[in-house]
Amino acid sequence: MTDYEDIDQRLARLARGSEALRPSASFSARVMRAVNEEATPSLLEGAWFSARRLLPVAAIAAALAVIWAVQVDRSVDDEIATSYASVELE
Amino acid sequence: MDTLEKAVDRVLNGDHSAFQQIVDATSVRLVRLGARIMGNQADAEDVVQEAYVKAFRALSAGEFDRRSSTATWLYRIVVNGAIDAKRSRKRRGEQSDTQIDPSWDGAAFAEARLALAELDDWLQELPQDQRAALVLQSLEGLNNGEIAEVMGVSEGAVEQRLVRARAALRQRRQQL
Repeated sequence: MTDYEDIDQRLARLARGSEALRPSASFSARVMRAVNEEATPSLLEGAWFSARRLLPVAAIAAALAVIWAVQVDRSVDDEIATSYASVELE
Repeated sequence: MDTLEKAVDRVLNGDHSAFQQIVDATSVRLVRLGARIMGNQADAEDVVQEAYVKAFRALSAGEFDRRSSTATWLYRIVVNGAIDAKRSRKRRGEQSDTQIDPSWDGAAFAEARLALAELDDWLQELPQDQRAALVLQSLEGLNNGEIAEVMGVSEGAVEQRLVRARAALRQRRQQL
């Protein structure tokens, strides 16, 4: 009998011996509790997730607001310039 | 397609409750594998629970690419988790958690606990990657190609780990 056979025989015996190993009775429930906690986002995560969806809309609204502000500013400048011209004509 | 792969499909499609089927179909093999690497049941259950959470996270994020079967993929997560846990425990000089679940009494389980204790004592001096390769081959019945896939290394590297593990066990026996 070689040393290798001794090692393999012992491994085979311990494989048979440990074959009856089973998870404890509460294991499956414990795992599913941990998984469900993972699946349910916290209040903060939920708020961030919802807010993230609104980001493109908010960006477009901000861009439109800047364009509108610039346009309003220009038309006010034009009106002031026109009123100065009117004053000069008078 | 078998039940396990169907359950994975359902989780990928957003049915989180189908994960229970994955746990039911794989937990016995995974906890047994974890126990054989970790050396005790309680630590194995912690490692396998963490592995399931990681798997769920990956499935929910659509990160499981199915290049390997679900069973092989879960084996890989458990083996990596067990090796990491053993290494960090050794670094911190901690003892294994040998607390026994009260529901675990019975002749067959008592014999299994003894076998596990003998296995842990015998293999404890081996580096963790060699121990894992030996467990996967001689106790789980995987061939070198399957071990390579689970451990994410080449078949040559697996062969080298197995030869070194056996040489170390033989040397230890000669010293006794």
